[in-house]
Amino acid sequence: MPGPPVLDRLVGDVARQIRLRRAEFYGLRGLFWGAVAAVLPLVLKESLGLWSYAGAAILLIAGAGAGALRGFLLRLPPAEAARLADRGYALQDRVSTALEWSERPDRTPIVDALVTDAVARAGQLAARRIIPRRVPREARFVPLPLLLGLALAAAPPIPLPQGRLPSFSVSRDEDEEKARDRSGDLQQAERRQATRRDPVQRADVQERNLAPRLGGGGQSQPGDLAAIFKDTSLGGRAPDFNSFLKKGDERLRMLEQLDRLPDLQSDFTQSQTRMVFQKAKALRGGLDPNKKASPEKLRELLNEMERLGRKGGGGGQGNWSGDVYEGMEALEGGQTDRAMEAMERALNKMRSMEERGRDGKSLKGGRESDRRGNRRGDRGAGQSGGPGDEGDFPEGEGLLPGRGKSGSPKGDATARLRGNPFDVGVEGESRPGRKQGIDTNMLGRGAQMPSRMQYMGVLGQYRKMMEESIAREQVPRDFQTQVKEYFQSLDEK
Amino acid sequence: MAQPPVSNQSQEQRVAEFVTAYQALRAEVGKIIVGHNEVVGQVLIGLFAGGHVLLEGVPGLGKTLLIKTLAESLELSFSRIQFTPDLMPGDIIGTNIIVEDAQARKHFQFQRGPIFGHILLADEVNRATPKTQSALLEGMQEGAVTVSGSGHPLPSPFFVLATQNPIEMEGTYPLPEAQLDRFLFKLRVRYPALEELTEIIDRTTHVRDVQVRRVLTGPQVLSMRELVREIPIATHVRDLASFIVLGTHPQWERAPDAARRFIRYGASPRGAQALVLGAKVRAIAEGRFNVSVEDLRAMALPALRHRLILNFEGEAEGVDVDDLIGQIVESAENMSGSGKEVFLR
Repeated sequence: MPGPPVLDRLVGDVARQIRLRRAEFYGLRGLFWGAVAAVLPLVLKESLGLWSYAGAAILLIAGAGAGALRGFLLRLPPAEAARLADRGYALQDRVSTALEWSERPDRTPIVDALVTDAVARAGQLAARRIIPRRVPREARFVPLPLLLGLALAAAPPIPLPQGRLPSFSVSRDEDEEKARDRSGDLQQAERRQATRRDPVQRADVQERNLAPRLGGGGQSQPGDLAAIFKDTSLGGRAPDFNSFLKKGDERLRMLEQLDRLPDLQSDFTQSQTRMVFQKAKALRGGLDPNKKASPEKLRELLNEMERLGRKGGGGGQGNWSGDVYEGMEALEGGQTDRAMEAMERALNKMRSMEERGRDGKSLKGGRESDRRGNRRGDRGAGQSGGPGDEGDFPEGEGLLPGRGKSGSPKGDATARLRGNPFDVGVEGESRPGRKQGIDTNMLGRGAQMPSRMQYMGVLGQYRKMMEESIAREQVPRDFQTQVKEYFQSLDEK
Repeated sequence: MAQPPVSNQSQEQRVAEFVTAYQALRAEVGKIIVGHNEVVGQVLIGLFAGGHVLLEGVPGLGKTLLIKTLAESLELSFSRIQFTPDLMPGDIIGTNIIVEDAQARKHFQFQRGPIFGHILLADEVNRATPKTQSALLEGMQEGAVTVSGSGHPLPSPFFVLATQNPIEMEGTYPLPEAQLDRFLFKLRVRYPALEELTEIIDRTTHVRDVQVRRVLTGPQVLSMRELVREIPIATHVRDLASFIVLGTHPQWERAPDAARRFIRYGASPRGAQALVLGAKVRAIAEGRFNVSVEDLRAMALPALRHRLILNFEGEAEGVDVDDLIGQIVESAENMSGSGKEVFLR
């Protein structure tokens, strides 16, 4: 459905303006390029004669005309013209909306009101130019080719070069022969001399012997690069590798200080006594027999033993404090061997005390035992425990599923069963041979794969300590990657 | 598409009535509120567009007073909730209580909360916990609330006006993006100019009896909302709205550089809806039957400023979202062929 005539007229008028402006714009562009092209026939005026003027004029007019025609014929959708009409006459998109919606099938009743409104406003408009003129960038440079063309037109014809261009190539023997024909021998001799090129003088430095420099002083030999620095302060200086070696030495020395390296082998999850044993073992056996034990490490161990002695009471038969003090005194006096002997004695006492404690209580350990306190004590010593209730289970580990201690928190199982007259099936001794009962820890794939809980737990703690040590820079930088890789390999097992 | 019912009135009359009602409402609010012409206009646009409005401004600028005055100018029920950290969703929506009937039988009865009002003032909405803020979500979007599995429709028109304070962020819970997106507009209430401040002092410190008339009823508001949706929009104007909204997305290949640099997330399609609906109301409030590019330009800030999420660089450089939207609108106009030399293409 065509739009209202008033709106169509308005849009048509705007479209005409747009076409004119486009024709101007592109016409000016075409004029510029036409003027540039018109210079060429004027340059060739000598050969073209009067045709050059005609050609220049034709090119000029054709350029402008072609540009204008292109601008005039550019595609112009009516919607775009309507939009520009809206903008040019400040109609706030009334015309474009009215024209668009008047043709739509889903138009609402309010569109009629819109069209009426748009028509009324368009009817009141006085025709005027609403499309601004735009000047292309090339238009500013149009005078240049025009002036050049005028100058060329006014000026006499430019003579075109005749014949061939002079040869700038090096004359060959054949040329020389020809030239000899034309001129005398004398001239030819002179020319040959003039055109002969001297051989390139190669730099002496390439032929010199680059002998190594012996010291900063002395006479400089040909080719001696030190001569370059001869007159400078750098000339007398030899490369200083000492500083580098010094730093390197420091690093090497640091690696030798085993005391400063973190003790990644220590297991802090074990009892303190066991740790002391392990440290002592490391102190004695881990070193070279010819090498003396580190006094710092020994002192540290003695301090720990002394602390342990205080904590555990240290009285009675297991009193190793005296030996520890003796060892420390010996260490103060620089007698490391004596200190080692004292430490051995203290360790023996400690070991015997540990043995006694194990014999007496057997399954003592873990939080449960602490919690139950005297209850177990009343039951008396000598109760044998289940599997794994040896020293392998430090504090708290008796609570792992399937590996509990015989001292069940719920009491003595046998006593309880006896109390029940109907529950008689579990009494008696277990028969030899394969177990018939269901033991989830021993049947199926689980039997082939022992529990790794303890291992994983300890490994986690070690890894945490490792990370802390690296963070505190207790591990030398060069060893950090190695340590990390070691833990990574443990993960993969 | 089904033709909307044509009343006995001509379309011109309907639009003229809209303009009259709009101006009357504005005049009533203007009796109490000094200045803030832009904010008042945009609140009314939000009302007739059928959305909800969030007002942001420092204390004492008249946000609450503006909303109360608007509520007094309309024959609609009004409820106000002062949001506090201990406010619970049940305090807003309502709760089931045990009641006893005549036969002494006990049963649960739904006790409606303050959300069941036509106009709801959520004062200092960012002081409540997100859980409580979210209680408004369903009501704002669906016009209904669900309690214990049963839905309860809210009265219509339902218009939420929330206020929040951009400073004193201590102990507040900034509205989540999902909640912000439910608001049609976010308006910034600026400090009054010198003349306005003088007028405020004169009005509020003298004996002055001002009565606000009720100029619009609920059905009238609903009828005006219907009229708004009938306003046609030209393709190039609608395309401009799309370009503006897409221009807020840094992932869009034609997004302006500023958007790519400073924006993390752009506006949702709700942003485009808000933009066009707001533009329609603005157009009709000015007595026009169509949406223009100027309408979109005017509505871009309130409709989009709360829908853009700046990235770290934008936050660090303190980029003003309003400036950013201005650049996006300019870029969109060039893209959609509204540039200066479009006639040369």
